[in-house]
Amino acid sequence: MRTALLGLLLAAAGLAQTSVSPVITAANRFLSTLSDTQHKREIYAFDDEQQRARWSNLPVGMVPRGGIPIKEMTAAQRSAAMSLLSTILSARGYEKVQQIMEADEVNRIQESGRGGGQGKGGFKQGKGPGDPQFGKENYYISFLGEPSETKPWMLQFGGHHLALNVTVSGEHGILTPSLTGAQPALFTQDGKTVRPLGQESDKAAALFNSLDESQRKQAVLSFRMADLVLGPGQDGKTIQPEGLKASSMTTPQKNALLDLIAEWANIVHQTAAAERMAQLRKDIDQTWFAWSGPIDVTPGKNISSYYRIQGPHVVIEYAPQGLGGDPSNHVHTMYRDPTNDYGRSK
Amino acid sequence: MNVRVVITALALASWPCSAHRLDEYLQATTISLSRSRIRLEMRLVPGVAVAPMILKTLDSDGDRVFSDAEQDQYVKRLRRDLDVTLDGQPLSLHLTSKTFPSIADMEEGRGAIRLSFEAEIVDTRGGARELRFENRHWRPIGAYLVNVLTPEDPDIRVVAQTRNFEQSSYRLSYSLSSRNPMYTWFAAAAMLTFVRIAWWRRFVGPREAPKP
Repeated sequence: MRTALLGLLLAAAGLAQTSVSPVITAANRFLSTLSDTQHKREIYAFDDEQQRARWSNLPVGMVPRGGIPIKEMTAAQRSAAMSLLSTILSARGYEKVQQIMEADEVNRIQESGRGGGQGKGGFKQGKGPGDPQFGKENYYISFLGEPSETKPWMLQFGGHHLALNVTVSGEHGILTPSLTGAQPALFTQDGKTVRPLGQESDKAAALFNSLDESQRKQAVLSFRMADLVLGPGQDGKTIQPEGLKASSMTTPQKNALLDLIAEWANIVHQTAAAERMAQLRKDIDQTWFAWSGPIDVTPGKNISSYYRIQGPHVVIEYAPQGLGGDPSNHVHTMYRDPTNDYGRSK
Repeated sequence: MNVRVVITALALASWPCSAHRLDEYLQATTISLSRSRIRLEMRLVPGVAVAPMILKTLDSDGDRVFSDAEQDQYVKRLRRDLDVTLDGQPLSLHLTSKTFPSIADMEEGRGAIRLSFEAEIVDTRGGARELRFENRHWRPIGAYLVNVLTPEDPDIRVVAQTRNFEQSSYRLSYSLSSRNPMYTWFAAAAMLTFVRIAWWRRFVGPREAPKP
């Protein structure tokens, strides 16, 4: 009798504590630190389509974001915001986000050093229109809908080179569409080399180098890819896949492709990432890998080639930006699910 | 020294390295196919360094406003720079929507001109088709992207996309399944039968017997 009662209690506890519970708790803890005015600015209606699409690779001075920026938060609010991020993301996802923000801080310092290119047509550093507003203080957090175990809601976090759109629907955590990027994509911090998107580069290079001649012939696109095809503002589009179909890959190559995909899929917390990876593993034979750009790779440096991974439920683009500087040091990436961006299953 | 080298040198001297697109004019096109229509969506984003040149042609009177007439003039110029053919025959594209950014947005390299064009396809017979798209718009500074969207119609199958290195020249081969006329007649007959049964049940069908 006692054992049965204990079993019932454990089952009830299991029902109450879902994998999303810590996320809800962290979200509510952050929201509880906000003033009434901040609260009003922070939460949008779940069906607010304008806010849902208000994300970009560009700095916040060029494309204003919704919600509250870190620079306006008190120490307690910052701590709660970062705690929420570390809960909704995996450990590696959270580290990646911090490195992207640090890269932008390096960028801000470099730009300040050169005067921000003030002058006709250039950006002005400082306050006011035209200030691109770089740096780790210029990242915004916002909600669409209230955190809930049962009703869908969304957390947005982003700024320059970062747009995380996490839709939480019951136990499911959907990270698409999300954008990661970095400039500089390689920098030194406390004597250590940091490459926020280094794994995305190294794993892709390793996969590419494992292809035989006939596979490469299919994977390599013979034309230049100047930018992301499905970047910000391109919601709802599915382009025709190109390149090498993974059904023509060996098992180790398929595993390498999955491991590469995991760099995006595993940004979100472990339970959601595991569910997503299971879906993408199932699709692997219908997944394509395409490469455009130099095929030589320098160890420890980022690639300067574009690549795209596309399957029934995923589109990933890695696009170095050849904008006058070293393209390998300025990277934009995009992660989408053409059937379920923003949790809208088709 | 070509135009792009000069622009790049000037840009690097005057603009911060973080500024996004600098010396190129991004022109991204997506193509949607249906049996009777082709739709082109174009997104044109001039880089910070080349925006003044584009602005000069766009804002022809220099009043810092893109009037309707100036927008139409620009679309005409762009249209002249595009060659779009289906099976070797020029397609008659008509503009279905246009959005122009503010001058300030354009000067900062974030302003996108968005244009949609459509063309009716008169000959909807099945078989192999070939669409060609040539873009000469601001060729010396153009950074082109062209992609076909996965067709929603299962009768349309994309066979191949071929581009030159810059993507200013694009060829799309696709096939269109013939619709079997017998199938069409059968579907029409089935629909008619369904409507007649529904009508009969509603107005003529067996009614409840009167209660004694």
